[in-house]
Amino acid sequence: MTLIFSESAESTGLAARYGYDRWLVSRFLEYVPGVQDFMEKMERPPTQYIRVNTLKTSRKELEARLRSKGFELKRTIMPEVLAVEKAPIATGATNEYLFGHYYMQDLSSCIAVDALDVSKDQAVLDVAAAPGGKTTLIAQKMENTGSIIALEPNEKRARAMSFNLARCGVYNTCILRMDGMHAEQLQMKFDRVLLDAPCSCEGVIAKDATRKTSHTPQDVDHCANRQNKLIEAAAMMVKPGGILVYATCSFAPEENEIVVDRLLQKFGNIAVEPLKYGSSGLTRFGDLTFDSQLKNTRRLYPHIHDTTGFFIARLRVS
Amino acid sequence: MIQENSSKIVCVMPAELEVITRMQPYHMGLAIGELKKQFVPSMAGADLFVRSGKRNEFYIIVNENAEKLVLYGRDIMGESIVEASDTLGENELVILLNSRLEAIGIGRTRFAGRSILRKGKVTVTTLNDAGYYLREEG
Repeated sequence: MTLIFSESAESTGLAARYGYDRWLVSRFLEYVPGVQDFMEKMERPPTQYIRVNTLKTSRKELEARLRSKGFELKRTIMPEVLAVEKAPIATGATNEYLFGHYYMQDLSSCIAVDALDVSKDQAVLDVAAAPGGKTTLIAQKMENTGSIIALEPNEKRARAMSFNLARCGVYNTCILRMDGMHAEQLQMKFDRVLLDAPCSCEGVIAKDATRKTSHTPQDVDHCANRQNKLIEAAAMMVKPGGILVYATCSFAPEENEIVVDRLLQKFGNIAVEPLKYGSSGLTRFGDLTFDSQLKNTRRLYPHIHDTTGFFIARLRVS
Repeated sequence: MIQENSSKIVCVMPAELEVITRMQPYHMGLAIGELKKQFVPSMAGADLFVRSGKRNEFYIIVNENAEKLVLYGRDIMGESIVEASDTLGENELVILLNSRLEAIGIGRTRFAGRSILRKGKVTVTTLNDAGYYLREEG
């Protein structure tokens, strides 16, 4: 059940000033550090990132080609990700984009894939995979070896994903039109499972300002119920010793720490592993206290980390 | 979409075969072309062949201006061709390359031999191009 907090002069003032629903701002004050800085950041276009597709080119080669066209690029904490500081033409309209030399992808998504720690010849399951940004990054980290099974129930999204896989030259991936909740039908276990779960998208307000007012506490409940089912289904697919990465682009603890905490309580064989990038996850929220391992999960905040808002948990199944 | 009795030729990793035999995938591997009367490479296939050094004799290289036009699906004028293999016949499938020798499209010749360089005439029909990904996706 989504927790609702009392309104205060601060929450109503910020909600009015930046055009948010008041219930949402009251909650942000509980779990987003520096809320006003966050809301200011949401008023500005987010930093655009591109991820070099090393199946087709190198970072050095791509930097040289785009710079010769007038692009200004900056390196980031991830070696394959570049921030676009100036783009004389649309980043999705260059020949290099058409040839699959890069993918437009937020740094947060790449950090989530990094947490998966994939290597060559592994078997990987990508649940809720479309449009394929993370899948194509997994494929390049695996150097097109092993196998990736990508689940996407929606035909239109699966079609868009198949174009992205072809453009990026990925040949180690199958797309199955299947809901992740039915993943057990695969009758397989995987070295790595990625669940970037459908969520309330609180973290992408800078890209979609309608999110300031378009969702309700009931929507958060709906997402959390689905996420609880998906993460259980995903955890069942991991080989002993394997890793499940759970991620959302929401800040809501009901969609993040509470989902992981519930999983830890239900399954006795899962540990939360520490991650390099981001702020520590919450170990308490309102009256709730979570397993101390939840501090190992990571939160990425737009105003602190210059990414879309993201939550990432790396879970080792023993 | 993968269909039964499809003429598509798909490059897959051995580890995927187990899934393919049990499930009906929507998409698998990389569709490198179709086998009809002859093998017709897809864009992804052309790219893979060129990258693996399999340019063979069926190619033409176009100038920068023609490259832009090809990526919008336009046909190729003779004067835009900076190099073509000598052995090309009429109605032959060719991989279209830019000056960096990257696959930008698949074409079919309208003339044989050096006639392909004829000025003022469309000498190669563009069948497929890398801009297709963007146009179809959108």
